[in-house]
Amino acid sequence: MSSELQEIENLIARMALKDRAAFRNLYSRTSAKLFGVILRVLDDRAEAEDVLQDVYVKIWNNADRYRANGLSPMTWLISIARNAAIDRKRRARHSTSGDVLTATLADPAPGPETMAIRASERNRLDGCFGELDHQHADAVRRAYLEGDTYAELAERYNVPLNTMRTWLRRSLLKLRECLSR
Amino acid sequence: MSGTTPDPNDDVVLAGEYTLSLLPEEELAAFEARLASEPALRRICAIWAEEFSGFADDVKPVTPPEDVQTRVEMRLFGESAPERRTGLWQRFGLTGLAVAVLAVLLFVSSDLLDQGPLPPETPAYTAEVAAEDRSLVVEAAYDAENAELYVERLAGEAAEGRSLELWLIAGENAPVSLGVLPPDERALFTVTPELQEALSGGVLAISDEPEGGSPTGAPTGAVLATGPITDA
Repeated sequence: MSSELQEIENLIARMALKDRAAFRNLYSRTSAKLFGVILRVLDDRAEAEDVLQDVYVKIWNNADRYRANGLSPMTWLISIARNAAIDRKRRARHSTSGDVLTATLADPAPGPETMAIRASERNRLDGCFGELDHQHADAVRRAYLEGDTYAELAERYNVPLNTMRTWLRRSLLKLRECLSR
Repeated sequence: MSGTTPDPNDDVVLAGEYTLSLLPEEELAAFEARLASEPALRRICAIWAEEFSGFADDVKPVTPPEDVQTRVEMRLFGESAPERRTGLWQRFGLTGLAVAVLAVLLFVSSDLLDQGPLPPETPAYTAEVAAEDRSLVVEAAYDAENAELYVERLAGEAAEGRSLELWLIAGENAPVSLGVLPPDERALFTVTPELQEALSGGVLAISDEPEGGSPTGAPTGAVLATGPITDA
């Protein structure tokens, strides 16, 4: 893990002890990235600012649940931001998935790996995406970055919803195979 | 779900859909219920999240307006603005005098160490402050009569040129230093009256600090071990 990520992990640990200086430090290091992630999901800037506030409240309140586990602490922070933005986008439909995932990622159980973890090798993900059909890879990316639902993706690619889901599930299986190589 | 052997490929796909927020509503609740009881499934989700977060590498950072931070801090700390110049001690309401008294008490208590402190016979509270991998384990017992916290280091030690500092965290308050653990395995810390009440239901933590302890009054290094204080 790079020293920058190590420092972020230390800041989260200090926030677990309610250290406000650590909070300010983490905010200054990460808020632009998380705001960028939120803005990808939400077009409305005012709404995105609201969500960014919620995100840092959540990070502060959940810092004591975070456990260093070899995964990048940025994954946890980005996931909180992404999920909060998606929850806001879909708030017409009641959704609590964001909070469960936040907890899940804060302290994932150690265990036998089903996929190798090489957080530093980002190009591995890119390589594996290169093996997917271009549209299918694009759909996965849109689901993650834009927060599109199956219905929205089906409309975008002009296919029936079930076909969309089949595409995506197959893509996930292929990715899994590629990533475990 | 129980009784059937889940197809591991299926779980990987389901976890991927879940992490992408794609699971249809009617499947979401069932999957989240499984997450609560299946650590392996949580691990798969974490790994997907790690992989997908690579997409965020392409996301351009956007500096948020300054008042967002002000508003967050207002919500979290009830302050009207980020008060960077206010000392930590002031923020949790300790006057300079109290700080001085605390410092003197800690100094005095470290003198007692040479006499080899003994654990209280009838502690009011106890705590085990331990690292997750138990590379550092410290037991604490509070003697209410003498307002003394007996601390015994069972495993681990400070890194070379570093110190281990003991903190008390009560509720939402900022951590308060109880002092630096001496090289001796046993130590006695005097607890000031205002901190005595905070012990019940509080948490003890040990952080890695520069030699002699944190220069700022707040933890500056990694938190190595934590443990809740429980009624003995």
